[in-house]
Formats: sequence, C-alpha cells, structure tokens
Amino acid sequence: MESLLDLVIFLGLVALGYFAGSRAERRHYRSIRERERKFLTQPAVSFGKFQGQETVADARLVSGSAVISIDYFKRLLAGLRALVGGRVKSYESLLDRARREALLRMKEKAAGADAIVNLRIETTSISKGSRNRNNSVSTVEALAYGTALYRRKQA
Amino acid sequence: MKFTPRPLRDEVNVSREHPLKEFFLLVGGVSAVFLAVFLILGLALDYVVPHISPELEDRLGKAYVTAFDIDEERSPAEQRLQELLDRLTGSLEEPDREYRVHIIPSPEANALALPGGHIVILSGLVREADSENELTMVLGHELGHYQERDHLQGLGRGLVLVFLSTLLFGADSPLSSLTMALLGSAEMQFSQSQERRADEWGLKLLLAEYGHAGGATSFFRRMEEKEEGKELLYFFSTHPFPKKRIEAIERAVREGKHPVKEKAALHEALTGVE
Repeated sequence: MESLLDLVIFLGLVALGYFAGSRAERRHYRSIRERERKFLTQPAVSFGKFQGQETVADARLVSGSAVISIDYFKRLLAGLRALVGGRVKSYESLLDRARREALLRMKEKAAGADAIVNLRIETTSISKGSRNRNNSVSTVEALAYGTALYRRKQA
Repeated sequence: MKFTPRPLRDEVNVSREHPLKEFFLLVGGVSAVFLAVFLILGLALDYVVPHISPELEDRLGKAYVTAFDIDEERSPAEQRLQELLDRLTGSLEEPDREYRVHIIPSPEANALALPGGHIVILSGLVREADSENELTMVLGHELGHYQERDHLQGLGRGLVLVFLSTLLFGADSPLSSLTMALLGSAEMQFSQSQERRADEWGLKLLLAEYGHAGGATSFFRRMEEKEEGKELLYFFSTHPFPKKRIEAIERAVREGKHPVKEKAALHEALTGVE
C-alpha cells in the first residue's frame, strides 16, 4: 500500500520532470537559435588581437552567465546511466544550453561592440560540495567573458 | 583576415537520441540484471537455508526482538495466545522447540514468523478475530512457516532485496522504493506457494486441536470483504489475495470430509485488546 503510494509519487515526479523539462528545453532552444541568428554578424573570437582593427577607441570587459537546472527525469536517466557507463546524454543539452545562453548574454551586454576578443567560457557545478547528495539540486553555471572592442569612444 | 559570419549547421554537442528511448533501454536492461541476480541469490538461499544452525537462528531472533521493541513482560492476552500455541506444538515434528507469541499494537491485522520461534501478532488481528478457532488457525499458519523454514527464506530474500536496492541507489532514494515494489511483486510469486503450504499446516493443526474445521476460513473471509475492490493493490503485497487462499482451504476441508462445528468463544483476556 505504502510502496504503491511511493511508486505513484515517483512516477508522477518523473512525468512532471519529463514533460516540463522537455517543454522548457524546446522553448529555450527556439529562443537560443533565434538570438544566435540575430548576433551572427557580431564577431566574438578567442584570440587576443583582432586583426584588421586599426584603431581601438575603447575596450571593456563583458561577461554573461546562465544557470540551468536538471529536471527529475534527467536526473533519473543520469542515475541509470551511472550504473552502466557511457555518455550522459541527458546532461549534454544542459551544458550546451548553458554555454550558448551565457555567450548570448555576453553579446547582449556588448551590444554595439565591433568585436569581442579573448573570449573564454567557464563552467561550474553549483551543487558541488553539497553534503546531502540526494537532496541537492544539480545545476550548472556557464560563464562567458571577453573584451569588447569599440572603434568609437563609448559614453 | 576577413570575418565571415556563418550559422552553425548542426547541433554537434547534443546527442540526437530521444531521451525516452534511452530511458526504456536503461530501465529494461538494469531491471533484467536485477531480476537475474535476485533469482540467483534466491536459489542460493534455498540451498543455504536448510543448513542454518538453531544457534544462529536464535541469535537472529534476538536481534529481531530488540528491533521490534518487544516487551519481555507478558500481557494476559499474550499468555492466553501462548496457551493456545503450546497446545498446537505437541503435534509438530520437533515438539521441544520453543515458540513465543508477542502482541504488538498496530492497526493492521497481520502476523509474522520471526527467526528463533518468535511469533509476532499485530493487535489488529486479535481485534478482528471472533473466536479462538480463528486465532488457532493463524497460529497454526505461522507454525507452518517454521515447519517449512519459510521464515528464514523470507528473511533472506528480504535482505537480498534491501541489499540490492541500497547498494545501487542509496538508502532512501525513490529509485529504491521502485525496485522494492517491482522485485517485491516478483518475490510474491515465491511467497504465494509458501503461504498455501502454511495454510495447509494451519488447517492440520486446527483439526488436531479441535477435531473440526470451524474457523478455518471465517477470518480470511472477513478480511476479504474488507479488501474487496483492492485486488490491484495485491500486486504489491507478499500475501496472496485472500480469496484464493479461502478457496484452497475450503477445497482441503471438502476433500478431507472434515466436519465444521461451532467455534469456541474468545477467552476474556483476548477481548478488548488495544
């Protein structure tokens, strides 16, 4: 009786995780693709000197970060995956979304820049170091930062 | 160098496989392995259980008595049940073995056969019983488990189950309760036949004591009426649905041409058990 209730709650959480999680992911990817098209002409590169840039009037540090959480279904999948090994496919999209969102936020911050150089992306697990493994929420943060270069002096 | 903006063509960083497909593959594979380990360990137990010494069993029994917080002092109801029990043990194969009855307060109507001859009766069962014949049938059923050494086997299987799920998922993970529920229902297939054999013992001891089969099924029948409409829940239960047990017992009574007479009223110590 009690185990049946446990099972129902568990399956309910899995279903909630799956439906809410995939919906959020679909919507996020739609928004990411749309904004990536918008910022396509904004150069952002990982090397320091931007060739062909004769005069730089202004340079600023720009950064953007995004925190994405897993859902119950993804955690269950990763838990099962941890038993047998292999690619944790359910987490791949989380990290991908976090990186791309962070990059886009950085570009939004650097709106009007002629180029962003020295671009770096870093990832942090926010739940790291938590004592209670079962109750912590696994969440990743991606941080993108770089130097925005402007030909004209900024106000 | 000229900067030429180009959109990304593919998502290379994210696998395309549908998450549900991965989920069902993993769940299927992992449960198949579980079930295999569980069955193999179950067979191993069947082999080991007959060789467990009485000393080891007593030690296990003591651990259980502590764990269940059983009072050493006997209530009048416990003394009366013990009297009923002692009358039954005379007709067993090992009449010298000691059995002790304990009553634990609980809303549930159930009984357990613990290692070391400790029979635990949940007080809900005493409340539900309306005659001593019915209680004798229950006690006989539990004694039957000892005769078949089911109490050790059940204990072992339970341990295997807890061990497996704790090992894989940790103590109180929801995955743990899922496995327990799934494997528990597999376990039920073993325990059903055990329950039937214990019922046969119960009937045999009841007949030896009273000379008639009155009270053999009336208790289960009342439980059945209570549980009507809950058949589905029995998928997760270790006891077979009462109806099947009643049918089997009634068939045995008919085939043995045993008389069914008036049941003996409850001793006053057994009325008003909380």
